[in-house]
Amino acid sequence: MSDETTLTVWQVVELARNSLRPYTLDYIQRLVPDFVELHGDRLSGDDPALVAGVGTWHGRTTMFFGHQKGRSLKERVSRNWGMMHPEGYRKAIRLAHHAAKFGFPIVSLIDTPGAYPGAAAEERGIAAAIAGAIMEWFRIPVPIVAAVIGEGGSGGALGMGVADRVIMLENSIYSVASPEAAASIVWRDNSRKVEAAEQLQLTSRDLLAMGVVEEIVAEPKGGAHADFDAAAASLDEALYRHVQPLLVQPVEQLLQHRYERFRYIDSLLHAEPHFGPKID
Amino acid sequence: MAVIDRHASEVRIAGGKLPPITLPTNCPGCGVALDPEHLRKQVYVCDCGHHFRMGADGWIQLIADKASWQERWGDIRSHDLLNWKVPKPYQETVEQLTEEGLNEAVRTGMCTLAGRPIWFATFDFRFVGGTLSIVAGERLARGLEQAAASGTPYVLVSASGGARMQEGVLALMQMAKVNAAVGRIHSAHVPYFSVLTDPTFGGTAASLALLADINIAEPGAAIGFTGPRVIKQATYADLPPGFQSADFQLARGQVDMVVPRVELRRLLAHLLEMYA
Repeated sequence: MSDETTLTVWQVVELARNSLRPYTLDYIQRLVPDFVELHGDRLSGDDPALVAGVGTWHGRTTMFFGHQKGRSLKERVSRNWGMMHPEGYRKAIRLAHHAAKFGFPIVSLIDTPGAYPGAAAEERGIAAAIAGAIMEWFRIPVPIVAAVIGEGGSGGALGMGVADRVIMLENSIYSVASPEAAASIVWRDNSRKVEAAEQLQLTSRDLLAMGVVEEIVAEPKGGAHADFDAAAASLDEALYRHVQPLLVQPVEQLLQHRYERFRYIDSLLHAEPHFGPKID
Repeated sequence: MAVIDRHASEVRIAGGKLPPITLPTNCPGCGVALDPEHLRKQVYVCDCGHHFRMGADGWIQLIADKASWQERWGDIRSHDLLNWKVPKPYQETVEQLTEEGLNEAVRTGMCTLAGRPIWFATFDFRFVGGTLSIVAGERLARGLEQAAASGTPYVLVSASGGARMQEGVLALMQMAKVNAAVGRIHSAHVPYFSVLTDPTFGGTAASLALLADINIAEPGAAIGFTGPRVIKQATYADLPPGFQSADFQLARGQVDMVVPRVELRRLLAHLLEMYA
């Protein structure tokens, strides 16, 4: 483990957003060297903010998805900083059905500030695209494992985060809204982002404690950016360990468990009575 | 809609007597001085067509046949899970609203509409902006599950700013929780009609509100994912007039129709007759 005990919440937020951190394509390169990228939603376009494709992972063809932020300014613009448009969610669901047709398990890597908050996304139905994707993931009859590798921002992240297991890299965050957006909503002032971040409880340890994620994946000393290979190896080990038992599960059971995972996700109340409403 | 006219004689525009609501002195649509009693009789729609926001109590009175409303799970309560302190302690916010007689951002139950049984849920924008919370999500998911299991049509009225910040990521997770349950409604071939009122945004628009078999928007309702203030902040874009309005969403294929409140009940009665 790194020296995480000394990090403030805001330092974790900055680490999760650090542009030197490994991005989806850095992990894909290491996990599935024979990766073949697939494009397009078959309706109107392709969304470069979401990488999708197939590769051989632990001897099995697997569908990979991941937000891609981009490092150079040019790449960031072309990837739209990893913020998906409606086409991205439609591409994901098209390819999820594609994976289901061939029985490929699905790995989804989450790293987005959120869905694109712009007029173009609104005009093409971003709300319905996310809503439809979230509903549809519950019907995909193959194992799905998701990992938050950097930023898990809002509905844009959840749209790619309905899975049988969700894990988080140690220095990643997952939140109902970015600290800036939360500050803008609660204070009407996005400069209160540090206070917002502190209240949101968005670190990997917070999410594990709430029962929203199954595991925290340790990062190399200093953070994932310090050693891409080591970070990829830890992520690979954790993802595969989680997908293995799912591969032998009967489909009905898999889908039932996925339903229950989210249906009772706020039910840590079994352990902590103050968590969530009491089930009558 | 001529075809619905035949319901006009037997379906009232409201099931019961609407409660009073807080009104401005003048209509923001046409500027005339408002007569609350007159407006109440026309389900809070001004003569100019401006639709005033109603709370959950108003919507229950409008949708449910007189004396048919049976509320469920009204006793589940929100808790301050994140120990949210600033700018205002969340627990205080909740207690204050509860004292004002509001019961969370979503209320749900069973009733009849023109004699037909339905499951009904309505958001209440007065409770922390109608935000999707654990209690809201729980009430929605339970109702959806019951409707799916019993084959009873489901009707939703939304008015919501999205997920509730003060419940953090668990509020976000409600989107998945309710959408999973909406999936059950569809798998069970149970009709689901969604009425989107002003405003419906964020996690509510991006979850159950737009996933119905028929999406019905109220005239003038603002509907979208990201609110206009945040869009301007993030992209510096000037938004054209009417951006994210009900008509905008109709033109872009997101809702099936824009229906005035005075015709809503008649339409729902007609749809229930055809689909149930």
